[in-house]
Amino acid sequence: MSSLLLEPREFRLLDGLRINPRKSFGGRVRGERLTKKKGISIEFADYREYSEGDDLRHLDWNVLARLDTPVMRTYRDEEDLAVHLLLDGSASMSFGEPSKFEAAQRLACALGYVALTGGDGVVPRLVGRREPNQQTLRGRANYPRLVGWVTQTRDMESAKDGLSASLRAFAASSVRLGLVVVISDGMDPDLPMALRILAGRGHEVLFLQVLSDIELDPELEGDLRLVDSETGGAVEITANSFALKEYRRRLHEHNRAISDALLRIGGRYALVQPQQPLDHVLKNVLKKECWVR
Amino acid sequence: MTFQNSAALIWFLPLAGVIVALYLLKMKRRDLQVPATFLWPDRVEEIRANTLFQKLRPSWLLFLQLLALLIAVGALAKPQTTQKGLAGSVTVFVVDTSASMSATDVKPSRLGEAVRQTQEAIQSAKPTDRIAIIEAGATPRVISALSSDPAKQMAALSSIQPTDAEGQIGEALRLASALVGGIDGARIVLLSDGDFEPIANFSRGKAAFVYRCIGNLDDNLSVGALGVAQTASGRQLYCGIKNNSLNPNGGTLNLYADGKLLDSIRSPKIPPTGQWGRTIAAPPGARLFEAKLDAPDFLKSDNYAVCIADPSASLHVLLVTKGDLFLERALALDPRVTLDKATEVPATESAASGVGSYDIVVFDGVPETAVKARGVLTFGKAGSASPVTEKGTVSKPRFVSSEPVPLLSSVDLASIYIDHQTSIVAKANGETVAQTSAGPVVVTAKDTGKRQIFVAFEPLESDFPLQVGFPIFVANALDYLAGGVSSTTLSVKAGQPFSLPITSEAKLTTPSGEVVTLNPTGANLVVREARSVGKYTIESEGRKRTIYATLRSERASNIRPEKDLNLGGGQVKASTSPVRFADFWRPLAVLAILVLGAEWWMFARKS
Repeated sequence: MSSLLLEPREFRLLDGLRINPRKSFGGRVRGERLTKKKGISIEFADYREYSEGDDLRHLDWNVLARLDTPVMRTYRDEEDLAVHLLLDGSASMSFGEPSKFEAAQRLACALGYVALTGGDGVVPRLVGRREPNQQTLRGRANYPRLVGWVTQTRDMESAKDGLSASLRAFAASSVRLGLVVVISDGMDPDLPMALRILAGRGHEVLFLQVLSDIELDPELEGDLRLVDSETGGAVEITANSFALKEYRRRLHEHNRAISDALLRIGGRYALVQPQQPLDHVLKNVLKKECWVR
Repeated sequence: MTFQNSAALIWFLPLAGVIVALYLLKMKRRDLQVPATFLWPDRVEEIRANTLFQKLRPSWLLFLQLLALLIAVGALAKPQTTQKGLAGSVTVFVVDTSASMSATDVKPSRLGEAVRQTQEAIQSAKPTDRIAIIEAGATPRVISALSSDPAKQMAALSSIQPTDAEGQIGEALRLASALVGGIDGARIVLLSDGDFEPIANFSRGKAAFVYRCIGNLDDNLSVGALGVAQTASGRQLYCGIKNNSLNPNGGTLNLYADGKLLDSIRSPKIPPTGQWGRTIAAPPGARLFEAKLDAPDFLKSDNYAVCIADPSASLHVLLVTKGDLFLERALALDPRVTLDKATEVPATESAASGVGSYDIVVFDGVPETAVKARGVLTFGKAGSASPVTEKGTVSKPRFVSSEPVPLLSSVDLASIYIDHQTSIVAKANGETVAQTSAGPVVVTAKDTGKRQIFVAFEPLESDFPLQVGFPIFVANALDYLAGGVSSTTLSVKAGQPFSLPITSEAKLTTPSGEVVTLNPTGANLVVREARSVGKYTIESEGRKRTIYATLRSERASNIRPEKDLNLGGGQVKASTSPVRFADFWRPLAVLAILVLGAEWWMFARKS
């Protein structure tokens, strides 16, 4: 793996792709995203009556000749899209082989690359731990900075903030509205509510859940004392078929609660596994679910 | 429900404490870090423990183990339930067939009711129950040995017939105790009206004793007295009625002389337990008097009595002895004999003249003295009243000769071994009928109104009692002493076996007309078939004997049901609804194993 986390082959797969939000958001700088604001793009928006001082280049001469009435053509403006890339850095992400966090890093880089090459503003942020806010990155040239932030050394054990608490804090902050891409294992019972709050602020939420085999098909046996990697709480179990069956049922219900919450708020949900290659994720998840196009 | 071994129950607490303590031990679990624990069930299954301590948590395994322990301890305590019913797992039914059980205060009779209850008990018994039946009549007998065969038991029950004899309940109970007294949980059930003498020597062993009292009422009149006496005004027949109940009652007494109605007397109401009597002139020459009582009572067999006005028909004998069972038995075998025993002659009998209480006095190894009795039989030692004079003692005399007299009929003196014989010389009135090398050995004497026999050795100084001829000699001696004739008419107590000196086959005709062929044993014909009141005839060797069986027993006539029995020195109360105990520790043990199996299955699934 190169220092840019992605292989050249994978860059080629990502080139030409664009983040595909369902909603439009107002931008700060001119970009490639049409907004609801009237602007100077080539995308026709509407007609309006002429008023003094209007730029005659946008006067519709055909209408003037036919109706003898000056009518101005208006166009949609093109601005950049704020893509909040929320990477779960909590302790639970360190599980799996390869770890869920490594997979999340690669996915964050891939989505960040797509956003940067699409002219969107990428705001990377780590959830599950407290870190200073990052600058908005724009343009392909900022990809190395994105990679640098993603790969900077972190002590996973020290992450003590819960996922849902971090998301609530993010929702409460005065960040620019945009597309929020959460890459996480979703191991928080309050996550569905946090996602609703996030959407309630006006963001469009994409949730990419990364779960390893340890979560999906745990192979436990015997009498165990399970210690929570984040809270340190313990549960004593006898890992028999009944306990495993009950765990799988609860995991299924938890994931369904997340997807249902996202469905209600107009968000999108996808489940990937760390060992899945990027091209597989691109093809079968991101493209198939129209996260990118 | 009761427990046979309730002490075992106290084991539950310590053992349950040990099990609970094991559950207080905490399992030392291996720590394993996982991404999140909220998805894991908070239910733990403590199936192993290897460290101290934890809070006791509900557990199905703990519940099943305690349940299995409880059931196992319960089984060890040997619980038993009580079920109503006469029969137990091992039961001996003792059915009283004595005369009082023929009382009809219970329909059809007390015996019928006893048989019915026994049948019910047999029908309701479990297939594994073992039952024996004893008929407690004059001679108790096991009519059905211990078995689990209801058909056989019912057949045996149907063979039970009422008798007019006094029952030997004590013997029957001892027989029952011998059968089941050593079996745990066995039961002896007595079905009776309790009208018998207290039983002193009885031990029920390990068996339980249940007494079912049968009978309700006690109304019964009996012929209390019937006899002929020579008085100053001639021969008089005296008769009497006894009221055995607690209610006044009366009846009509019909008197017969030689089969002809002599008089019919209506008695007044006789007070409770009182008597009423009447004396009438007895027809001259009449020998057989019968009394038949017609009364509204429940027992008919004691409403009949017979009196034979023949001196030899009834003999009151006094045996003066230091102890000789052979002689005592030989005397008692004679149906005419009413035997008393003494070690010396009572003063009232010690006079040469006058009328005494006894017809015959037998001296056995005791010097003969003058007595009022009309007959004297002396063995061994002569006295002043003897027809012989003693000269000394001779050892091992040899038989020489005997006279062909009725006294020695069917008696072979030649085969007798005599150890010591008294050497005697017959007095003037004495007649020697047998001689040994030591001189006269049997001497008879006959005076007016008095007869004597002297035998010059004691029976126990010889093997004579072991010889077949001994009871024949005693019977012949009684005939001789009673007047020289053998009576052809006898009166016996119903149900009492008696013997007659008959050596060939005999035919017995019962009151019901049934004819039974009897074969003698040795020189005697033992008759056991006279169980009912009435007239029996025995024909043998062309000679016909008539025997009248009567129930002359105050105890048997008192048919008042006894609710309490004197048994083995203690009192036994009648049981109205006896219960049986049924063990069920076996199903409990099986249940404990099943619960343990379920516990193991659960353990295996959880681990």
